[in-house]
Amino acid sequence: MSKSYFDETHTAIGHPKSTFMQWMLTVDHKRIGIMYAAVMFTFFFVAVATAFLMRLELFAPGAQYIDGDTFNQAFTLHGVIMIFLFIIPGVPAVLGNIVMPLMIGAKDVSFPRLNWFTFWLYILGCIIALASLFTDAGFADTGWTFYAPYSLTTSTNVIFTLVAAFVLGMASILTGLNFLVTIHRLRAPGMTFFKMPLFVWGIYATAWIQLLATPVVGITLILAIMEKYFGIGIFDPSKGGDPVLFEHLFWIYSHPAVYLMILPAFGIMSEIIPTFSRREIFGYRTIALSSASIAGIGYLVWGHHLYTSGMADIAKTIFSFLTFFVAIPTGIKFYDWIATMYKGKIILSTPMLWALGTIITFTIGGLTGVTIAMIGVDIHLQDTYYTVAHFHYAMLGGVVFLFFAGLHYWFPLITGKMYNEKHAKIAFYLNFVGFNLLWFPMFIAGYYGMPRRYFDYLPEFQIYHQVSFVGAVVFITGLIYMFVVFFKGWRSGKPSGTNPWNATTLEWHLPSSPPPLENHSKVPYVDFNPYEYHHGEPVVKFDYETMKRID
Amino acid sequence: MSHEYIPEIATSRDGTEYEVQGWQDDFYGGKLGFWLFMFTEVLMFGAMFMALSYYNVLHPHEFIEASASLNRLLGGINTVILLVSALTMGLSLLKMRVGDVKGAKLMIWATILLALAFLVIKGFEWRAEYNHGIFLMHGEMLPESGMAFGKKLFFGMYFTMTGIHGFHIIIGIGLMIWLLKRINAGKVTPEHHILHWNIALYWDIVHLIWVFVFPYYYMIGAGGVTGGH
Amino acid sequence: MGTNNTTIDYKKERSAYYKVLIGLLLLTAVTFIQPHLFMTESTFVAQMAIAVVKAWLIIMYYMHLKGDSLIGVMGIFSLIIVATFFIIVIGFDVANFQYVPESHITGPASAGVEHATPAHH
Repeated sequence: MSKSYFDETHTAIGHPKSTFMQWMLTVDHKRIGIMYAAVMFTFFFVAVATAFLMRLELFAPGAQYIDGDTFNQAFTLHGVIMIFLFIIPGVPAVLGNIVMPLMIGAKDVSFPRLNWFTFWLYILGCIIALASLFTDAGFADTGWTFYAPYSLTTSTNVIFTLVAAFVLGMASILTGLNFLVTIHRLRAPGMTFFKMPLFVWGIYATAWIQLLATPVVGITLILAIMEKYFGIGIFDPSKGGDPVLFEHLFWIYSHPAVYLMILPAFGIMSEIIPTFSRREIFGYRTIALSSASIAGIGYLVWGHHLYTSGMADIAKTIFSFLTFFVAIPTGIKFYDWIATMYKGKIILSTPMLWALGTIITFTIGGLTGVTIAMIGVDIHLQDTYYTVAHFHYAMLGGVVFLFFAGLHYWFPLITGKMYNEKHAKIAFYLNFVGFNLLWFPMFIAGYYGMPRRYFDYLPEFQIYHQVSFVGAVVFITGLIYMFVVFFKGWRSGKPSGTNPWNATTLEWHLPSSPPPLENHSKVPYVDFNPYEYHHGEPVVKFDYETMKRID
Repeated sequence: MSHEYIPEIATSRDGTEYEVQGWQDDFYGGKLGFWLFMFTEVLMFGAMFMALSYYNVLHPHEFIEASASLNRLLGGINTVILLVSALTMGLSLLKMRVGDVKGAKLMIWATILLALAFLVIKGFEWRAEYNHGIFLMHGEMLPESGMAFGKKLFFGMYFTMTGIHGFHIIIGIGLMIWLLKRINAGKVTPEHHILHWNIALYWDIVHLIWVFVFPYYYMIGAGGVTGGH
Repeated sequence: MGTNNTTIDYKKERSAYYKVLIGLLLLTAVTFIQPHLFMTESTFVAQMAIAVVKAWLIIMYYMHLKGDSLIGVMGIFSLIIVATFFIIVIGFDVANFQYVPESHITGPASAGVEHATPAHH
């Protein structure tokens, strides 16, 4: 058996003998990606448990299990973990790290030791964020958006979360920086930008957002710390400060952040659809350029989070127009994917099921976003369950579903084994049904006026909360089921071989499965497009020892 | 970082050989990475300038008054100190590139001394302001004082921005000391000097930020009462 | 392999450094005399213009950006993003500030003592 990256590794310092230290000090992008996944999904389940606690409390009006202040801390914790610890590192930290260098024929990222340092910076951020749970003052109760002036006056422990978000932001910036230089410098000879797989395009556009948008929230958090603990007047009206300035600065990052979440996910979709339609992707160039334009235009739309804050009317109108505009590149992608499937030979494996499910759920998420981009509509639906359902359909039904699709797709690459297909499909259906039961009633509840972040509500809304609770139970069952399928597959699944899906991109042309430490045995010369199929079969074939084309 | 890195060769179907760029020994990649990091610094300070400009628009006269009360002599001396330090750092890099390692180290020491002088003068400035009752959580900056909103906002941002800038100078001094150690250990040489290059770039960006901080805070009130806008 | 050029004209590069130093020192002197000499009604614009010229000299020569097209393009792209959202879009909002009469924070200059609630939330 040839050695894989599980058998040997490069380390940041020294030559440790113990397996544990070899993992702690590893600079190998594949191992770092796995460690990110392990930590991220642990915290994901903590946040899911917090959400379940909230759903349980909201099953009936009035207080049953927790009081109002604890409820506020619960939704803050849920938001902080899900956003800063899970979904923003998200796809780039796991699949970007593991798969992207393989796709461009590189041996690692441009700065492997920086990659190692960034992982531990992320861990530090996680520890700081959750440390406040164990202090007297308790976790912050401001919501993950920390709006001034409440965040400045509350007695709960806001500083831990602010510092943690800053540290996690630094980790995000460094990941983006690493990926940008990697994609510019380490592509295989012959691979121009327009011969890169679309997942790499997604990671590239994301890296620009990570680099240029995160510093703004970084400094906003520093200014909030300076205000709360050093008394400078900047967001506090009692010193002449303007709370709306905080909202502007916060959302200048947080809106591009959602594009940071979705662009790698769209990249995964662009990988799965051609493979399981056995066809070249339709409109490669437009999908690539739409990723870039979403990243670019996405910087200009943050004001749609501030429609009810007292902004000038003309500014609101500009932001509304730009928000409608940014939906266009996304729509182009969806049409291209559907065109790819047209007259293809569709194979409904689990990754494809997840991708198709996402087309449904993200379309709902995206279109409901467009409805609240209208200023007049948003006046009524701002801060209601409609908004909550919208962003969960987009983030959970878009980003996370595609993340799961990517995990299923690249599972054989990462582990060398295959999961049980039948059980994986059952898990998908549980997730899909549960998700829609959980979130769809919220559109209706929000439309009728149920406010978000509210601990108690009028009895007329109860039916929606009850249906949501049933959906939550089904959904969480589906999540756990899916992870059990993964664990069992890793433990005792059948060996998968190097290219179980018969795909065309470079990560499937490795000499062994799981991949060896140094990735490809030799870097190939790339004179082909990433998705070349002929009558459902890949055109490009390699001799894996010399990486020369033999077709 | 292995100094014996030998790059791989990839061959195309017609036999042409191409050298593969590895992540090791990538001078241009190292430069590119550091420039990208500097863009993030520019954005951080840029966001602070934006907040400052917003309040400037709301309180133009108070900003001019507050600016006029800052010590332009000390600020100007600091500007010249930082200017010369950028020169010494650039000269140290040039000497390293042509092989004059001793001269390079001397110039780094000169830069460190100038940076320390900058911090000392900044300390004097802040102490003078403290004695006038203007400092964080002190005197006129407290919420109950009668100082105008515009001035409170000005001085709040002044201490924040010069404080963060000073913090970056301290980091720069630390980086330069580390650089000297790496040179002494033979890890930074005329053939492999990407670390030196990047630290010189870092120092230039610290200087660049001051190029904008100084006129915005110190000079807008310089012309007397009108100052102009 | 570790460097990007093999022959360095020491004297030429050193003289470039000194020339830029003289330029920067002169511009600093102009900074000090400008409020009394020219553009006295628009000191802010003059000061920022001088700062931009200084920055350009530093970036081009001290930071060796002259001739580095990829990084230069990335820099211009980043600046355009910054200019657009920092200045232009926020500028629209600030220029059309809608609630001046009711707003606590744009009140008269002496308003620093009361803790009234803001006009909007």
